[in-house]
Amino acid sequence: MKLWLGLALLAGPLAAQSARARLEGRVPGAAVPVLDSLVQRAVAEGLPTEPLIQKALEGGAKQVTASRIVAAVQLSLGQLRAARDLLIRAGDEPPVTPGEVTTVAWALRRGLPAPVVQRVVAALPRPPRASAMHAVADLAAHQFDPDSAADLIIAAIGQGLVRERLLDVSAAAAHELQRGHTHAEALALVRQQLPNVPASPKPTRSAVARARRPAAPPPP
Amino acid sequence: MNMIDPRIHQVLDGELAPGALSAELRRSVERLVTAVALLGAPLPLPSLESRVMALIRRPAPSRARRLLRWLATPRAVMFRVRPVWSLAFAAVVALLTLVPIGHEGPDIGEHEGIAQFVGRFPGAQSVHVVGSFNDWRPGSIALEDVDQDGLWRATVVLPAGAYEYMFVVDGERWVPDHLAERLVADEFGRENSIVIVRPARR
Repeated sequence: MKLWLGLALLAGPLAAQSARARLEGRVPGAAVPVLDSLVQRAVAEGLPTEPLIQKALEGGAKQVTASRIVAAVQLSLGQLRAARDLLIRAGDEPPVTPGEVTTVAWALRRGLPAPVVQRVVAALPRPPRASAMHAVADLAAHQFDPDSAADLIIAAIGQGLVRERLLDVSAAAAHELQRGHTHAEALALVRQQLPNVPASPKPTRSAVARARRPAAPPPP
Repeated sequence: MNMIDPRIHQVLDGELAPGALSAELRRSVERLVTAVALLGAPLPLPSLESRVMALIRRPAPSRARRLLRWLATPRAVMFRVRPVWSLAFAAVVALLTLVPIGHEGPDIGEHEGIAQFVGRFPGAQSVHVVGSFNDWRPGSIALEDVDQDGLWRATVVLPAGAYEYMFVVDGERWVPDHLAERLVADEFGRENSIVIVRPARR
């Protein structure tokens, strides 16, 4: 715990410093000091800063006004706080990991109700939970009842499926919908298949041959 | 085979007078005598000179014609192969076919995967994908419309994870990926698409 706190204290100022460097020239100049203070506040609270920086960069790229960028970053900071509190309520011991805070914040942004997210967190006591959250959110996006969607993913976790295999579960349910089944039928069918849901195909050799790495961003 | 009447033989050999034969056999004897007279006459052969000159005057076949004739002429080809070399050759062919020797494209790390971006933008001059994977920096990942059919594509190696993104058409128009199943509000009044990149080595 002491080591973790020590690292967090050391990493905080460095993160804030690099954040300012990344923002300058990419967002309206007037917004930089405010955004910098929001990032520093996140550091002080032990929250991840990358989602805030990304939101600011996104606003700058989309040529949004400074005030709207600041408002969006403030909203993101609030989402991260809510995510941290949810994790602690679900049983994670503070300080919660930045990655899990980001995951939960994303699940909430994708429209999952907080109690559903909390159930999934409790069902997966050990991170990472990102795939589970995305699997439930994917099902909800296909108009499955979020509680029933969480039930299915928790059942899949109980059957030993982890990480990306959980995304195969949500994909299988969506596939059953496409085949004409009702939502309830699709969930029941996939539940029967567990844990042997079809795996998503690997990238083809031609896709790998075509793939290229994005150019590295120029130094700030 | 037709048998010749022995009386005809006798007439031809001078042992029997032609008058002793019937009218029909006499006609046969006359035909035979005429044929023998024809066979015995010398043939009017052309002289050596005229034959040589005829060959010289005949135009030589073109190179293509000679090649065609050579190709069309059946020839016997004989291989003498030791079975051990045949098997070795077959094994090498099978190895080259079944086992990839290296591969094109970039090396993909353990925690990296491939993201494929596809958008339909007929008439667009340029399309880029911009997102949290490239710090929302426009212009760094261009899509290509190789077939000029309005379908723009890019295949990119990214660290495994989830990312938000949008397309930028002609450098100014921000458009969500309508083919993406995952969308999320961008807090600026629009929607970002979400791509989840799985590790390629599973």
